[in-house]
Amino acid sequence: MTRRIPLLATLTVAVCTAWPAVAQNATAPVTAIRNATILTVTKGTIEKGTIVIRNGRIATVGANIDVPRGATEIDATGLYVMPGIIDAHSHIAVDGSVNELSLSVTAMVGIEDVLNPDDIDIYRGLAGGVTTANVLHGSGNAIGGKNAVIKLRWGKEARALLFEGALPGIKFALGENPKRASASPNAGAERRYPTTRMGVIDVIREAFVEARAYQGRWRGYDAAVKAGDRTAVAPARDLALEPLVEILEGKRLVHAHSYRADEILQLLRLAEEFKFKVATLQHVLEGYKVADEIAKHGAGGSTFSDWWGYKFEVVDAIPYNAALMTDRGVLVSINSDSAEEHRHLNQEAAKTMKYGGLSEEQALKLITLNPATQLGIDKRVGSIEVGKDADLVLYTAHPLSVYAIPQQVLIDGVVYFDRAKDLQARDTRAKAKQALKDKEKAGAAPARSTPTETTPKVETTPRVEGDR
Amino acid sequence: MKLARLRVAALGLACVVGATTGPSAQPVAPIAIRNARLVPVSGPPIDAGTIVLANGLIRAVGARVDVPAEAVVIDGTGLTVYPGLFDAFTDLGLGAATTGAAGAATPRPAPRPIRGPQDRPATTPWVQAADEFRADDRRIETWRSGGITTVVTAPRGGVFPGQAAVINLSGERREDVIVRSAAAVPLVLTPPGAGNVFPGSLMGVYAYVRQVFLDTRHATDASRRYDANPRGKTRPEHDRSIQALQGALQAKTPFLVPASSSAQIDRVLTFGRELEIPVVVYGAHEGYAAAARLAKARVPVLVSAHWPEKARDGDPDADELLSVLELRDKAPRTPAALAEQKVPFAFYSDGLSGPSEYLANVRKAVKAGLAADTALRALTLDAAQLYGVQDRLGSLEAGKIANLVVVQGDLLGDKSTVRHVFVDGRRFEGTADATTGSGSGARPSGRGGPSTPPSSIGGAVSGGRR
Amino acid sequence: MNRSRLPLSCLTALTAVSLLAVCPPQAGAQGARTIAITGARINTVSGPVIENGTVVIADGRILSVGAGAPVPAGAEVIDGTGLEVTPGFFDAMSQVGLTEISAVNATNDITETGPYNPQIDAATAVHPATDHIPVARANGVTHAVAVPGLAAGGPGGANAPVIGGQASAFHLDGWTIEEMLINRSVGMVVNWPSLRTRVRDPQTFAFRSRPFREAKDEQAKQTRELARWITDARDYRAARSKGADRIDRNLKLEALAPYVAGERPWLLQATTERDIRDAVAFFVDTHKQKIVLVGADEAWKVAPLLAEKKVPVILGPTQALPGSDDDPYDATMAAPAVLHKAGVTFALSTYTSSDVRNLPYEIGTAVGFGLPREAAVRAITLTPAQLLGLDGSLGSIEPGKVANLVVTRGDPLEIRSTVTHVFVKGVPVSLESRHTQLYERYKNRPRPAAAGTK
Repeated sequence: MTRRIPLLATLTVAVCTAWPAVAQNATAPVTAIRNATILTVTKGTIEKGTIVIRNGRIATVGANIDVPRGATEIDATGLYVMPGIIDAHSHIAVDGSVNELSLSVTAMVGIEDVLNPDDIDIYRGLAGGVTTANVLHGSGNAIGGKNAVIKLRWGKEARALLFEGALPGIKFALGENPKRASASPNAGAERRYPTTRMGVIDVIREAFVEARAYQGRWRGYDAAVKAGDRTAVAPARDLALEPLVEILEGKRLVHAHSYRADEILQLLRLAEEFKFKVATLQHVLEGYKVADEIAKHGAGGSTFSDWWGYKFEVVDAIPYNAALMTDRGVLVSINSDSAEEHRHLNQEAAKTMKYGGLSEEQALKLITLNPATQLGIDKRVGSIEVGKDADLVLYTAHPLSVYAIPQQVLIDGVVYFDRAKDLQARDTRAKAKQALKDKEKAGAAPARSTPTETTPKVETTPRVEGDR
Repeated sequence: MKLARLRVAALGLACVVGATTGPSAQPVAPIAIRNARLVPVSGPPIDAGTIVLANGLIRAVGARVDVPAEAVVIDGTGLTVYPGLFDAFTDLGLGAATTGAAGAATPRPAPRPIRGPQDRPATTPWVQAADEFRADDRRIETWRSGGITTVVTAPRGGVFPGQAAVINLSGERREDVIVRSAAAVPLVLTPPGAGNVFPGSLMGVYAYVRQVFLDTRHATDASRRYDANPRGKTRPEHDRSIQALQGALQAKTPFLVPASSSAQIDRVLTFGRELEIPVVVYGAHEGYAAAARLAKARVPVLVSAHWPEKARDGDPDADELLSVLELRDKAPRTPAALAEQKVPFAFYSDGLSGPSEYLANVRKAVKAGLAADTALRALTLDAAQLYGVQDRLGSLEAGKIANLVVVQGDLLGDKSTVRHVFVDGRRFEGTADATTGSGSGARPSGRGGPSTPPSSIGGAVSGGRR
Repeated sequence: MNRSRLPLSCLTALTAVSLLAVCPPQAGAQGARTIAITGARINTVSGPVIENGTVVIADGRILSVGAGAPVPAGAEVIDGTGLEVTPGFFDAMSQVGLTEISAVNATNDITETGPYNPQIDAATAVHPATDHIPVARANGVTHAVAVPGLAAGGPGGANAPVIGGQASAFHLDGWTIEEMLINRSVGMVVNWPSLRTRVRDPQTFAFRSRPFREAKDEQAKQTRELARWITDARDYRAARSKGADRIDRNLKLEALAPYVAGERPWLLQATTERDIRDAVAFFVDTHKQKIVLVGADEAWKVAPLLAEKKVPVILGPTQALPGSDDDPYDATMAAPAVLHKAGVTFALSTYTSSDVRNLPYEIGTAVGFGLPREAAVRAITLTPAQLLGLDGSLGSIEPGKVANLVVTRGDPLEIRSTVTHVFVKGVPVSLESRHTQLYERYKNRPRPAAAGTK
């Protein structure tokens, strides 16, 4: 992954040349966004409205409200403000591969261990209005690794990206990807199990059987200790099984990459067999075929706006999926699964008005309140309401218009993206770059030969990370 | 005439200083270097002093010391004596250069399929550099002739390649040269090989290592309980890796972990805290941006002296990223930044071709703001301290091991020549010209031979001079 | 985007697709119809917008257009009140008809093997019954160019195409390719041999850095060969014109001849700034060829050069990531505006098959980043037609031109607008597709009896 110098570096050159971020309002904890068209998502639209932010939270919202003296004012005349976009399926900010492809169950790995705060895709997503992302393990394994929900606080260190208090999650995957449909088998080599949809479900079932046994051992130990048994020995901890026990106990959300209606049902039934709920079905492009079942189970659906035609299992993908599932009572979000797509999720949401006739408010919810609810963070984000985090996007036109672009993006009341500042900084950066090049030429240290890299990279198996 | 006499004297000296072949490799008589500038590192420099070596140790050092009558005296006029230098992390004496076996970088092949962490992939922490070290590595001469007397050498390959040893480059027998075995445990937090074997990803490595430490601590507890009272209990599994790590944890051996960028350094610091293990970061090219955090975490650093550089046969029109340009520009500033924050650090060669390149790169750090005497410390006493051998190496003090480098000129100046190198009291010749790195692979004096110019024997010598 | 590959046998794939396929909406009725759309807002593109205007279609062509254009007797009348009429969108660089499911290789007919294949043309392989055509057409794309052999991004192998074949233009309606075809050969695809300093070993998938000198030598070799093809094609045509019976027919040189003679443009793909400079120098300065620059991700970096040399460009999607971390975040979105300001003639296309329907939104995005709206509409209607020599019959609403039109309620560049009618060759085509049919079917799945499905 490319490195970028974090903004907190104190050296002058770095401050001038890094993409501008964190225009700190450290001295003015009160900010007021004035005279905007406010799309609250939950409480309608406020014309010529004002939002007062205090200590990172929304303090007041309304058409005629008083702005405290000393507040930093953002003139939003002509602009539209909506809640920051929440991308429920992302693979940005990961150092190294997003897949631990070696085994079919890799619940022990976690995105949190390898967050990369220098990934430029954080900045690019921010510039597209995304303020929160559910960063997931890839879809290469039936049971993948743990997720990390982050806020796109560009310039902060890795730990400071984490969305405090978000419920932990984990990635499951069904269908072509975990069965390695696209890998060409090495002659003679035994292929990793599973290679059919039968095996995929079996892998998941076996893992939960093991998890139940593990849970049982620990419960036995806890009971013994409670009963006063001093000789009780704690079982050895197994980091691959613990997240599965958390799922059984309702403490970890399952985000299941899935396409075909039949595999969706298989997973829902398996979950019911083990008495847990699938939190979200990801992609779920045939969700419209089994929307009633999904709604009854209580799983959310996080899907694409209109991608199709790329794999066999998406042959029945239709852009009406979000609308159809919504109509049948499924809680739906639109996601990106792409560092490019997340730059215009507002447009993707607009497509659900075109394909299936969702209303403007329903469309906006697909990228704000709904994904927030799916991730268990709706008390904090997803709409413009008093008490919620001041994660806001200021658009130049109505966000569901193709012409709208983000002007400023705030997270916790801090401006993390400012288009005007970005435009201004380009010249400075170019100059700094040229200065370094010139300096190097002048110094002209002797360079050395390029070594031949013979270590095979991760790409010995076809890439499926972030695959849809 | 005078020349002839010098030559005779030289030969005589050669006989006395003696053979390096054979079991008794020590010089027969004490050696005294007189009237030289001494840079002890542990104290202020002495403009004109004398240092006496005997039986592999420094017997005396100072402005006025008694020189034993039987000592061979070297005139140190115009020369400077420093403690022998360290290369704080290398693979000298191990790997391809010596055995010609599969490259040092490749992990040992797994004999069985890896089903998960329990199969301990890429894990061989029981391998001791001290057991594998081969003194016939051709590189040893190259480095020693440039003034490197002590190296910390570690096995390579895998996540837990083995354990490092502190070694003096003084002889042929492994038993003679080990200063400290099991001195540090490299913990290489990068995917060891192809992506289709666990751990294939960076996050896989982190998860694996976390599990290994959990297992180690659990095993310690379990075996204690079992040993106290085995009856009725299942016998704990025998796990060679766990055993080795238990030993390291108990001895509080530091773990050497690579981290280059500021974000990687942060990650390693967080992980080290979580695992509750003592960590030393190596690499650290972006350390200048993380110095305060390193100081706060009290984590020492091995700074790679192999500063990032532009590829020679790369595309001249390729538009390199600003971040790449900035790193190349600022990396040599890292040692100064660490020093400012009082982060303990030492240098290591990280694949540089030889000692003159190594020192030239350390000089770059000095040019970028590192105080020269701090640089010297990082090559000597601070390096020794990192590995717990500061009580016996790293400075010119009476009683310490006689590792010295005798230089004409300033070791960290632009032009200097290494005249002599002493390791464990044995004397070796320096390179003809330390700055160009045209290491002739000096051999211990006494062998003679055409490759070493006779003038490298140094100032006029004669037995018995006081 | 990452695509996974599925080694499904050809037969199984075809069977499966046809089993799952609902009857694809086929071509509209043949035969001449006279249709008038009255009282609509008309974006002629070639002239000013006509508010409250009438377009009359007859015999597949535009008969008249104007504020007070008379409606012929017997014409079918469509009340255009509140509607907008725009020339049908033209995706001039697409893969429509050449792929069904990109991961299923059996369904792909985009790139032949071998570096020099000027003799093949896309129309030969276009699948008229592809699901992709109704989907694209339903959102107003009325005609497209299928482009063969455009090298994908990334290091090419020994068999990566240099000359990839002829691009073909066709209407997105018809029972057979013969009915659909506009022009079998509108452009000759050539991929500029890029300097490859990182190559991938096909055995181990490992990347290897190669010395610059070696890469430069390889490129020089490839460009020399390219120059040879150009001169050979010229010589061939000259020789054949003088004594056809004595010169053996050579299909490759024959295919190249009109392009080398400047009758039609090369579709020259060069992505990076340096590649664009080198490619333009080679094709324009040295060999005096007529070119359209395609796949030019960094065209915005060399806009002044392109303006000076009058090199037109067909840009790829604005919704693409910048090539370098140091590039401005909006490099691709602002590229059309940059070219426009510099005076470069450009069109925009999707370069895909499944995403052709989003053509108006791709260019619409550029408007937010500084492209005037009129230039945006032009970039997907008249300009691409001009670049490929088809503007005599397509690209604007003028009498005499083919009646390819899209009628919308709302701004045609806006996602929230609805497409009410699409005309191809004067015939209103079905807006149904596999997608709408699946929608209808599952919309009508009976709901569960129990209450509280919300």
